[in-house]
Order: sequence, then C-alpha cells, then structure tokens
Amino acid sequence: MTKSVLLDLTQCIGCGACTVACKLWNQLEFADGAPATGEKAVKDHSNWTTVTFRKVQKDGAPVWRFVKEQCLHCLEPACVSVCFAKALQISKEGAVVYRPDLCVGCRYCMLGCPFSVPKYEWQRSLPNVSKCQMCAGKIAQGEVPACVGACPTGAMTFGERDDNLALARQRIEQGNGRYINHIYGEKEAGGTRWLYLSDVDFSKLGMVTNVPEVPIASFTDDYLRWTVPLLAGGALLFTALRHYTKRRNDIESSQASQKESKKK
Amino acid sequence: MEDDPKKKTDVPVSRRGFLKLAAGAGIAGGASSLSGCLVNEQKVGDSGWLPQQYRVPGNWPVQVRGRIPIDPANPAITRDDAKCVLCGQCQEVCEKIQTVHGHYELPVKDDFICIHCGQCSLWCPTAAITETFSIAKVDAALADPGKIVIVQTAPATRVALGEEFGMPVGSWVQGQQISALRKLGFARVFDTNFSADLTIVEEATELVARITGKGGKHPLPQLTSCCPGWVKFVEYFYPDLIPNLSTAKSPQQMMGALIKTYYAKTGNIDPEKIFSVSVMPCTGKKFEIDRPEYHAAARYWNRPHLRDMDAVLTTRELASMIKRANLNFPELPEGSYDPLLGASSGAGLIFGNSGGVMEAAVRSAYFYLTGNKAPPEAFEFKKVRGLEGVKEASLSIPGVGPLHVAVIHGLKNARVVMDKVRAGNSRYHFIEVMSCPGGCVSGGGQPRSSTPPGDEMRRMRTAAIYQRDAGQNLRESYKNPEIKQLYANFLGEPCGELAHKLLHTDYVSRADRLQPKKPQKT
Ligand code: SF4
Ligand code: SF4
Ligand code: SF4
Ligand code: SF4
Repeated sequence: MTKSVLLDLTQCIGCGACTVACKLWNQLEFADGAPATGEKAVKDHSNWTTVTFRKVQKDGAPVWRFVKEQCLHCLEPACVSVCFAKALQISKEGAVVYRPDLCVGCRYCMLGCPFSVPKYEWQRSLPNVSKCQMCAGKIAQGEVPACVGACPTGAMTFGERDDNLALARQRIEQGNGRYINHIYGEKEAGGTRWLYLSDVDFSKLGMVTNVPEVPIASFTDDYLRWTVPLLAGGALLFTALRHYTKRRNDIESSQASQKESKKK
Repeated sequence: MEDDPKKKTDVPVSRRGFLKLAAGAGIAGGASSLSGCLVNEQKVGDSGWLPQQYRVPGNWPVQVRGRIPIDPANPAITRDDAKCVLCGQCQEVCEKIQTVHGHYELPVKDDFICIHCGQCSLWCPTAAITETFSIAKVDAALADPGKIVIVQTAPATRVALGEEFGMPVGSWVQGQQISALRKLGFARVFDTNFSADLTIVEEATELVARITGKGGKHPLPQLTSCCPGWVKFVEYFYPDLIPNLSTAKSPQQMMGALIKTYYAKTGNIDPEKIFSVSVMPCTGKKFEIDRPEYHAAARYWNRPHLRDMDAVLTTRELASMIKRANLNFPELPEGSYDPLLGASSGAGLIFGNSGGVMEAAVRSAYFYLTGNKAPPEAFEFKKVRGLEGVKEASLSIPGVGPLHVAVIHGLKNARVVMDKVRAGNSRYHFIEVMSCPGGCVSGGGQPRSSTPPGDEMRRMRTAAIYQRDAGQNLRESYKNPEIKQLYANFLGEPCGELAHKLLHTDYVSRADRLQPKKPQKT
C-alpha cells in the first residue's frame, strides 16, 4: 500500500488553507517574518508546507500560479538511506516519517534530500530535523492529510499512488491541452508519492526539475557500505552521539510537560 | 546499553565539536543499526487540533471547507493566519451571498477575484480577516503640522459607532462622532450626506436625461454606482452592462474631489496641504480611492500626484482611535459639521441603507421631470424599504408614465436581476444595488455585532436612519442650500462641464481577469 497525493496546480487558488491546516494539526509556529504563503514564502522548520505565489507567463499572457510544496515522500528516499540512526523511516502507508528520539542531529538527510526538504531547528539549543510527515497518524486512521482535507477547491486527491497516476494521465488526455504532458513525481528521484499536474512548466514554478530519475538512494547505499569496516573504531563516537540524543530527549520530555499545547 | 544513566550528561556538546564528530562519517550508522536499542518511540506533529469537519475518515464531501484567497496586495482586507481556524465562514459569505468566490473557472488568470466588500471580515469569527489598517497613515498626517487634515463621515457610521461603546444598536451618535473627530485633531469635519445629496442631483439629472431620450450611449435601466463593490462586480461579471451604470461618482469621491478643488479654492488653501480622510462603513472604499479614474483634483490642478482621497478609516478603525485616546464617547457633547460641505437633507442620510438611494433619487427625479414636489409616498417609499433581497416599485409620473424601479442588496440577488436586464427582459428604469446585505448599515467596515451578522441589527440601524429622515424639514437633495450654493458659485449646471469633470467617472471592464462560471441549473 502506497498512499499518495495528486496535486493539480491548475485548481489551486492560493488561499493558503492547506498551510494553516498543517500548522494547526502539527502544532507548528506562526512565526513573524516567515510567511508560509505569498511571493516570499519561507520554507523552514515551522513551515512544513508553503504555497508560493508565482507570476509567470503562459502563451504570452501573464498568469498567477500558486505552488504548494512539502516533502514529496519519495518511493526510495535518500534521506532514509543516509540516516544511519534510522530516524527516518517509511510508515506502513508510505509516509516518510521522522523519529526525533532516534535522530542524532547529523543532518545527513538535509544534504541527501534532492529537494532540500528537511529543515533544522536552528533556533533550538539541541535541534531536531523538521519536515512534513504526510500526517502519518491521521492517514493511519483512514483520514486524509490535514492539508488535503482543508482545500476548498479539491486541488488535492489522496489515494493509492497507482490510482493517482491513472487519474493524472486521464486528466492530461482528456484535458484538451489544458495540462502540460508531465506528471511531476512520476519519475523524479525514482518516483515520489506526491504527484503534480500543471499547465505551465514546472521549472517556471520554481520546482526542482534537475533531479535524476534514478533514486538518489542507489548512490548513498554504495557509500554507506564503506562505513561497515570502520565500525570497530566507532564505539567511542557512538557513545557521544547517544549522549546528544539522550540529552535532547530528556530536555524534551521535561519541556513537554510544561509546554502549552494550544496555539497562541 | 552503553550509556550509564547516572553519568553526568549535562556537559554541553558544542555544535562545532559535535559537527567535527559527525563529520567523521557514518561510523555510528552501523553502530546504531547494530545496537538495536530504541528509546520510547516519539513522533513530531500529527497531534494538534482541526475543526471537526476535517476529522473524518475517507474522502467525504465537506460542506464548508477551506477559506477565501486574499491577495497580499488587497487594499481593503487582510488576514492574520495565526488567528484563522479554517471555519470556512469567509468562503460561505463570499460564495453564497456575494457570489464572487467559486463563480469563476479555474485555473485563475492574473487576479485574486475580490470586490472588497469586506463581508468576510464581518463573518470571520476570530477577526483573522480585518480591513487593511490605515490608522498609522492618518496618525502621521495628524502629527504633521504642514497638513490640514479634513475628514468626512458616511451616512451609516452615525447609527453604528455607538455600539462599540456599549450603546444600544441603532443609537444615533452623529454629534458625538463629530466631537470625537475634533478631539482627535481633525481640522474640518464634513458630511458625506452633503455629497450624497450632490450624487442624487447628478444621478437624478442623468436619469431624467436617459428617460427623456437624451442619454446618448447610456441606456436604461440606469444602475446606481455609489457602491464600489457593486461597481467592481459589474466590471468583472457584467462588463456588457457598464454603459448602464450611472457615471456619477460615489458620495465619498465627490466629496474628495470637491475638498481639493472647491473648498481649497474658496478657503484659499493649497490643495497639496490637504490630507483628506473619510470614515466609512465600508472596506471597499479603501479600494475606491486608488482607482486612477477618480483622481479629479490631480487633473483639475494639473498636479498628477494629487489624490482626491488620502485615507479611509472604517467605523471600527475610528472606534479604536477613540478608545486609544480614551474619550468617553457616549458623554461627548453633540458637535456639528463645518459649513460649505456640511449641510444635508434627509435624502442624503438614507443613502446609508438599502432602498435609500432609490427613495432619495425618486424625490428629486420627480421634481426634475414635473417641476412639482414628489407625492407623499416618495417620502415613505414602503416598497423599497425593508430587507427583502429584491424590492420592486412603480411610481406614476404625470406626463411621463410609470417609473419602474428595483432595489437590490447582496450580490447573489443582483445576479438574478442583471441576468434579466442582460436578456432584455427587465422593465425597470432605475435599479439600486448595494453589495452588502441591508446596505451600508451593515457594511464590511461596521462594528461586529453577532456572527453571522443578523437582520435584527440591520433593521435597528436602518430604523434609526429613517426616523431621522422623517423628522427632518429638508428631505430633498435639490433643496439643500449648500448644494445650490455650490452650483451657483462653482460647478454651474448639474451634469454640466465642470460637474462632469469632477463628479463623473468611467469604468473599466475586468472581463479579461476571469472566466465566469456558467450558471448552474439548480
Ligand atoms: S501532509 Fe500533513 S504534514 Fe505534510 S504538508 Fe500536508 S498537512 Fe503538513
Ligand atoms: S488549500 Fe488548496 S487552493 Fe488553497 S492554497 Fe492550498 S492547495 Fe491551493
Ligand atoms: S471582500 Fe467581499 S468579495 Fe472580497 S473576499 Fe471578502 S467577501 Fe469576498
Ligand atoms: S472566516 Fe476567518 S477563521 Fe474562518 S476560515 Fe475564514 S479567515 Fe479563517
């Protein structure tokens, strides 16, 4: 079972409801100076999803497009394969989720991700990595991701990836040239679970289009293989990393009890 | 397990030190996988709050989902995302009452379709949506000794402002409002009711011309043009009916043009020094002042940077300025308007509610057509009063025949009538449209009463207006002495050359900004 979202960019009106839903459900901060929408939307640890307002040209006329971005949940995620601490895992439904209790803070995932999705909580003394979880808990209960459910125009369709691919192809075929003939995410980085349809070229929309079609993970596995012979000398280092994680977890649990869970 | 729980772990791991370690590569990767020792499973996010309608399994249709889009550059409304709870009320009013959101095809072109009525700001339960604030701009002008800050107040603010200070709905606070404005430092306080009278004189003259076959390119029915939301709605969705719109500007813009021409001239004031503010029940007025078609003083003085109006405050914004200044509003003495642009008739006052513009216009048009005072029914024009969505009436005018009129509020209702006009199936001569349900008394800039705004509030505010009109001696716009003075000393004839230059405007088709949705048969 691989759940997926098909996002039809021609249906997005830029209302930003998806970004608010994401913050409400995931208890992310509404930070001043880091808007999740608009021409200067900021992708950071509290904006797991952004809707960037792009003024582009289509057939010689100006058009405004709104590009919702978040973790693409690759089929073979580079972040998962580079994470030696197994802090990034693929859930039963197919969401690429992050386990803060396992993360040692090395930030390999940030280097590994071809879409620069994982962000770091730089403002914290002992930071976590931060990214869209595809609302793994919500989808495990049979619900749709928060952002998908909040969209007033139904721009996003949640379902099995194969079904979404078929739907996307059908829309392109029946659209009378309405869409460009490209399902973003079908092949990018070996395939992703979020799929996009558009009527203007994805490169014009600021999306990463220069990614290889083979999974990044296939390189990183090779690279990681070399780490095994080095293991012997690693005990000491590992202890240090464990301390880092443990200390952060301790602080976290003591803070969690004080932390007000409601948003401001 | 390698780590001893008693071992002191609060030796800070410096970031640099740690990164050095981490740079040593994935040695620990293997170690961690081999160790198989996991602490309590944790997750990030995924445990917050969402309104109940979004917490259902499966892809069930949700009746109210999401919210309206707002252009970051929208001159009238703005939203604070941190306060939005995704209740969808903004979308309900925009789509179902105003028929703007959801009434155009996707993908969008190059516009966030909005007529700036601000009803969404009234419906939003958390005040996430508000007017775009102009208080800072007005404060700066008030603090500038080189500026003469002049203010005008719309008909409808005087029956609503009191609610912000605990007074009953519909309290008449015209005098307190004037005193408050003077205390806040405004140099002159003029009455938009004056320019509403002026609008009636121009608009009724225009109507008479159309009825008597001298309308030129401007056919019947004549559509009112004082509501900026309605005007933009026509420009988006009924561009073919633009010639039907009255060319008369709204009262706010007539006043703005006169302050920087007539008043500046009469008082020998450099128009550059004037900072012109209005207090309006409306967010759309903030959009209206930026329309380039309206920069009449700039053309009159040949100084392109001059703006007829410099800032618009909503009733809510004025209330917050009064509260900030800590004025005991209900106890303020009753001030009066400054002369020259301050006198008004009951006809100007009733502009503030649905049906008022029509009733006011009929009183004057009857006189222009017959030379006689309008009959008593035009002074309590029951058929155009009240909260029915579309009101119709006919008045027989000797020598002309029956005059058929319609009065509409709420743009969903306007579509019904405009589709008839478009198809040539309407018998009306004159149609009044106000975007906001109830008219300006419950405009998008008025104090919040309850959510969603109720008809009881609309009725009470409207009743206060009609009561004042009934108690007034001067109830016809054309009889207003300061209006007569204005024509005699400055403008010349109604709809004459200078009047046209300053008080009339044209409109732009916005048809290319959207593809209207085909009407769905229900
Ligand atoms: S799937 Fe969930 S976490 Fe990811 S962007 Fe949507 S709401 Fe946010
Ligand atoms: S909620 Fe839907 S329409 Fe609104 S910005 Fe997100 S994807 Fe676009
Ligand atoms: S101001 Fe009026 S038209 Fe604009 S979004 Fe709000 S309700 Fe809709
Ligand atoms: S009415 Fe206000 S709180 Fe509700 S969805 Fe709209 S902006 Fe958000």
